[in-house]
Amino acid sequence: MIRIIFDHNDHNDIISFKLMGHANSGKYGQDIVCAAVSALSISTVNSLFKIANIKPKVISDDVNGGLLNVKINNCSDQLKHDRAQTLLLNLENGLVDISKNYGKYIQLKINA
Amino acid sequence: MLKMNLQFFSAHKGTGSTSNGRDSAGRRLGSKVADGQTVKPGMIIYRQRGTHIYPGKNVKRGGDDTLFALTDGVVRFERKGRHNKQVSVYPVSEAVAK
Repeated sequence: MIRIIFDHNDHNDIISFKLMGHANSGKYGQDIVCAAVSALSISTVNSLFKIANIKPKVISDDVNGGLLNVKINNCSDQLKHDRAQTLLLNLENGLVDISKNYGKYIQLKINA
Repeated sequence: MLKMNLQFFSAHKGTGSTSNGRDSAGRRLGSKVADGQTVKPGMIIYRQRGTHIYPGKNVKRGGDDTLFALTDGVVRFERKGRHNKQVSVYPVSEAVAK
């Protein structure tokens, strides 16, 4: 099971998210839940760099997989901040939807 | 930037599949008659591949190395030289004397 935690600050901005564990919804190479979560989360991280032009603090276990910890630093540039939050909210929304239909493999928690 | 690994949250590396796992059925080789038993002509005494046991008196070797009796009698498993074995069939009268 993949455990996902989103942390929001007082302004309801997402300041960090953490994904841990393995989906185990299928054999290696056929684990669709893992593929969905991987695609959404990795794409979001890369977009934070390329589209929002911010440099989040990223901790990931590239050898064993199953760990992705991202912290968003404060950003004075309003455009960058808005883009980053849009990307993060999109990730959160996508993962919430996945967890509704594949709750057996995903556990999601939002700390407001 | 992260590498787009779609199995990033997958449990463990897939183990390759093997193309082995096939085997033929056992051929039920070996002895079909015990020492001292009586046999009739044509009865199979020993199934083998190659000559684990050689044909002795009144015993013949078939095309697949099977040993079978040529006459009525009693089966005797014997030594053949220092390292080999053979199987013979002796008529009952002769077998009693052995």
